[in-house]
Amino acid sequence: MTSTSATPTRPAPLHRLGRTLKSELFATPLDGVITLVLVGFLLAVGTALVRWVLFQAQWAVIQTNTTLFAVGRYPIEQQWRLWLLTVLIAAASGLSWGLLRGKGSWPRNDQLAAGILIALAVIGSWALKLELPIQCRWWAITGVLLLVRWASGRWGHTLPATLLKLVPLIWPVLYLVGMVLISGGLGLMRVPPGEWGGLLLTLLEASFAILLCFPLGILLALGRRSELPLLRWGSVLYIEFIRGAPLITLLFLGQNILGFLLPGGLAPDRVWRAAWVLTFFAAAYVAEAVRSGLVALPPGQLEAARSLGLPMHQALIHVVLPQALRVALPATVGQFITLLQDTTLLSLIGLLDLLGTARAVMANPEFLGKNAEVYLVLAVLFWCCCAALGLGSRALETRLNPLAPSKA
Amino acid sequence: MTSAAAANLKNPVMIEARGVEKWYPNGFQALRGVDLTVHQGEVVVIMGPSGSGKSTFIRTFNALEDFQKGSIVVDGMPLSNDVRNIDAIRREVGMVFQQFNLFPHLTVLDNLTLAPTLVRQRPKREVEKQALELLERVGIHEQARKYPGQLSGGQQQRVAIARSLCMEPRIMLFDEPTSALDPEMVQEVLEVMQELASDGITMVVVTHEVRFARKVASRVVLMADGQVVEEAPPEQFFTNPQHERSRQFLSQIA
Repeated sequence: MTSTSATPTRPAPLHRLGRTLKSELFATPLDGVITLVLVGFLLAVGTALVRWVLFQAQWAVIQTNTTLFAVGRYPIEQQWRLWLLTVLIAAASGLSWGLLRGKGSWPRNDQLAAGILIALAVIGSWALKLELPIQCRWWAITGVLLLVRWASGRWGHTLPATLLKLVPLIWPVLYLVGMVLISGGLGLMRVPPGEWGGLLLTLLEASFAILLCFPLGILLALGRRSELPLLRWGSVLYIEFIRGAPLITLLFLGQNILGFLLPGGLAPDRVWRAAWVLTFFAAAYVAEAVRSGLVALPPGQLEAARSLGLPMHQALIHVVLPQALRVALPATVGQFITLLQDTTLLSLIGLLDLLGTARAVMANPEFLGKNAEVYLVLAVLFWCCCAALGLGSRALETRLNPLAPSKA
Repeated sequence: MTSAAAANLKNPVMIEARGVEKWYPNGFQALRGVDLTVHQGEVVVIMGPSGSGKSTFIRTFNALEDFQKGSIVVDGMPLSNDVRNIDAIRREVGMVFQQFNLFPHLTVLDNLTLAPTLVRQRPKREVEKQALELLERVGIHEQARKYPGQLSGGQQQRVAIARSLCMEPRIMLFDEPTSALDPEMVQEVLEVMQELASDGITMVVVTHEVRFARKVASRVVLMADGQVVEEAPPEQFFTNPQHERSRQFLSQIA
């Protein structure tokens, strides 16, 4: 079976392709008709889309507002800080993967991610008909990011495996560094949250919530299975209350109530209020995902750990959670992706996230009727962010499975 | 054999259970006043029909099951609800389960070294050396870097035994260690257990393996309906059982 490709008969692969096509798409006359109709339909839609993007769409709305979509009203002379942060993120992700993947070739998911980034830089700048200098800047930035990521990946690969323990530490530290870079302080000029916007605000809110809702969700899931009634009922009550309320209600509640509840000055800024609401909201759902992992674990695992003398917290950290979280990972990442998309609700409470910025731009008389252009760009941006999360999680899943470590 | 068993009775008491009674939350009484004394170096085999409470009983020795009445003293430490006390007892009592319960996300070697490094806080290097010796002793040292899922059932159970031994326990509990194994793998596990017994470690074994009981046990205990029916040296138990319930059980497994 495997030897066919090794035999000298050259046309074999092509022949096989033809046979596959026939058996998959044209097995019966009816199959053939369905195939032809569907292909025709897809071609029609596809060409219409391409023609619209290339010839009919007026991309001036994007060209003029690129900065607004990217960072909102973030002061232009301070934007180097954001670029520095982007490079740091590329380096950190390269380093993490270099350390994580151990031995083996360049993971396929990573190749895909790099491919998407390159396609975005090339096709995006071309389709949007950006001016040549700006196009060059896009390519240069993409090139630098990929280079940094590749180099740090190579470097992480050569580091001893004992440093693997540092991976979960890299990201919170990077987050703190990022917060300083974005908001200022420590000698940098302050940029108040009111001036953050666009993709920057969307990613900031989402990453804040993702980073914090995960540990919170784990604690809630453990609480729900605790033997202490107060802890158990507290967790159940919290999870069921949050899951029973629509996010938009909670967001409005957060904006209005936190101001009453906390004495003046203590209530966080509107941006942070929304971030906390997102965090507490997502935590309830993550808790249920993690609980599914805990339920799937045979009770003998905890019994074995405890009978070896491990105290409860060590049994949880070293035996129960590593296994439960691996089971819960797909559902958890699904939750993260939902969370990222839920940030668009922030536009309804008056924050200028990606969608909020878009709505503001479309309300501008100068760009009236350019909704299709704006929404298409938004869709592509969101798709890219979610694809990155999905690809990363699937790679992590394979990497964490001890019996299939090489397929990542 | 009998003289050796008698000599054991002069050894210090390792487990002393008195009048242990247990009810499940649904009201079912699983243990109805069970007494058992195990001396150092003894191998006590507990037999009995399924549902007789034998597994539940030995799981009370390291507090995997609680009980409502009676008392249990393990290695001089009375079992109470004090968490520190329970952890102290569990450090001295190893347990081997029917379903092995190896940690599938850790290599065989890490399965062995996890508890000694965390609980006893011994240096990793030293524990690894001991772990490899133990794996050699149970005949699977060349699988040390593999994951449990890559081993056969018999190999997994031998790893589980080695994992318990790595904590250097004073007592080993075996809860039907061969019941989940394919028939051709039962022997390799029993051989390891027999070797352990000859090293003089105190063992309490719940099993249906008559040949093992005859060869290795100092005493055989028959449990039925949450009570001890008969307690006798293996020769006497298998050839001349005193109770009707014992005869009935032996005729069923023969």
